[in-house]
Amino acid sequence: MWESFIIQPMVNLLLWIYDVLGHGPQMFGLAIILFTILIRLITWPLNASQVKGAQAMQELQNDKEWQEIQKKYAKDREKLAQEQMRIYQERGINPFASCLPTLIQFPIIIGLYQSIIRAMAATPLDMLKLARTIYPFQNISEIIPLNSKFLWMNLGQPEGIPLPFDVSFLPHGFPLLAIIVALTTYIQTKLTMPNTPPNPNDQASAQTAAMSGTMSIYMPLMLGWFALNFASGIAVYFITSNLLGIVQYAATGRANWSNLLPGGNKNNQAKKK
Amino acid sequence: MNMKKVYLILLLVLAALFLSACSGRTVTNNWPGLSTDGERAYLASGSFVYAIDVKTGKEVWKYPESASGSLLFFATPTLTQDGQLLIGSAGSTRSLVSLDPATGKEKWSAPFNGAKGAWEAAPLVFNETIYAPNTDGYLYILNMSGGEVSDPIELGGSLWSTPVTDGTLLYVTALDHHLHVVDPATGEIKNTVDLGGGIPGSAAIGDGGVYVGSFAATVEFVQADGSHEVVANTGNWIWGTPVLSNETLYYADLSGNLFSLDLASKTQNWGTVQPDGPVVASLLATENTIYVVAEEGKFIALDQDGKIVWEKETGGKNYTTPVLAGDLILVAPYQAEYALAAYDAEGKQAWTYTPEK
Repeated sequence: MWESFIIQPMVNLLLWIYDVLGHGPQMFGLAIILFTILIRLITWPLNASQVKGAQAMQELQNDKEWQEIQKKYAKDREKLAQEQMRIYQERGINPFASCLPTLIQFPIIIGLYQSIIRAMAATPLDMLKLARTIYPFQNISEIIPLNSKFLWMNLGQPEGIPLPFDVSFLPHGFPLLAIIVALTTYIQTKLTMPNTPPNPNDQASAQTAAMSGTMSIYMPLMLGWFALNFASGIAVYFITSNLLGIVQYAATGRANWSNLLPGGNKNNQAKKK
Repeated sequence: MNMKKVYLILLLVLAALFLSACSGRTVTNNWPGLSTDGERAYLASGSFVYAIDVKTGKEVWKYPESASGSLLFFATPTLTQDGQLLIGSAGSTRSLVSLDPATGKEKWSAPFNGAKGAWEAAPLVFNETIYAPNTDGYLYILNMSGGEVSDPIELGGSLWSTPVTDGTLLYVTALDHHLHVVDPATGEIKNTVDLGGGIPGSAAIGDGGVYVGSFAATVEFVQADGSHEVVANTGNWIWGTPVLSNETLYYADLSGNLFSLDLASKTQNWGTVQPDGPVVASLLATENTIYVVAEEGKFIALDQDGKIVWEKETGGKNYTTPVLAGDLILVAPYQAEYALAAYDAEGKQAWTYTPEK
């Protein structure tokens, strides 16, 4: 199932793009970038609904009617839940709208990672597996083996710029790509953080704000760690995806650029007061 | 909102698990390499190289004594005339090791550490020099003590097969579709020929040139001056090395077709012979019999007319070329109940060997 519906189509799409590009040096890296753009375009409506959903939820936290309902039914959780559902229905808010796109992203990331490793075919056994993954219409004998060189990287291996001395915790050298991954993830996470202060009377709102803060630290670290240890092809995907995410969010006009500056959010809140 | 937090943490954990399962470093796994000196079989299978007594099927030694996370062996072990067993590691430590075939003790290990890729192919020993092809695209040239004799020759593309020699020149195949003709005396690449598809197997030395099968689904005859011609087409990739025996060329493709090409008349000796699934390994041709291991777990003997004489189930998957050890044929299935089995010419199983866990 996973093989037929995720890995096989992804490997074939990647190889098709690679073939169209002329399957020369640098082209597999470009194929990953184009593939990411394509996936982003396909999932654009989902991402847009995520942004809308998150925004609607955020606005709801500061809605006077909702705040009054919370006060009124503070001790009646069942009634509060009923009222919450009523408000969701009245205002067309889907509480899962912000979760679904994230859910879809994970199989794509995992599938892409496995596709890159599959396409690289480092051993004879991997090559045999690759041969069976490719659809008959592909010009397989000409395009295999893939040229895994992209800029200074081997896309099938973790990235690192060689250092003149050995550093035990950096076996692949200076991890430039991992740093860029962490940085772009941080920027993307910060831009999407709410620019309104959490409602002090709403515990849930405060929790969401705290969670966003935690996310802005842990997500860049986690993706940076992946980029440090896994095939650099996945790091190329992360960076492209992050940059497109930033562009997409900026295009909605909701990007909170001041969050990127030290104390930016506090300044923002002060201005609002 | 608490649920949302739980959901988020779950997603992160799941992603970490999935990606970790994929492994940060490329998972290295492959089928075993097998060679023999007639008395012992040498099996390179994962963390160990095993020496097995051909008469009894008992283990004589294994190297290293305990598994190391960084050493992995899949290439065919190479026996040298001066009593060494050479094997390269495909693990994170990419050392080329020389063992004493009698005891399995290291003679030397990694005096040379320059290879950037894994060792998937066996080296060729010619004129007391080791020519070791690496997946980093270089042919390393070492003396019999493992020291570098000269700069490696950059051929490009992954080198997955053992170079062959006609006594003067070396013929080295590469996965990037090329066959390279190298002068070992000068290290000069005399010719490079594009065969239109990856070449995972070695070339077979013929009269005045070499025969090469490739992913282009062709067998080509290539001469040292770079001229080449297609002598046969197949319907699918050719993985193994064509085998030349009595003016007949035997080869197989990934569709499971077996071919017997009469080189004098350039005609096929038999029609469609497709006994059982894809064939990756090279064929083993003796005077009267052709032995085939098919991927789906069959070991088959054919006569010169392509008729099946007998077939046996080996279990697992067969990718390793069978070898002849005296009167026995040794077969090393991948992921089977046993690692090595010996059969006589009638197809009777003499013994099986399973490494101790």
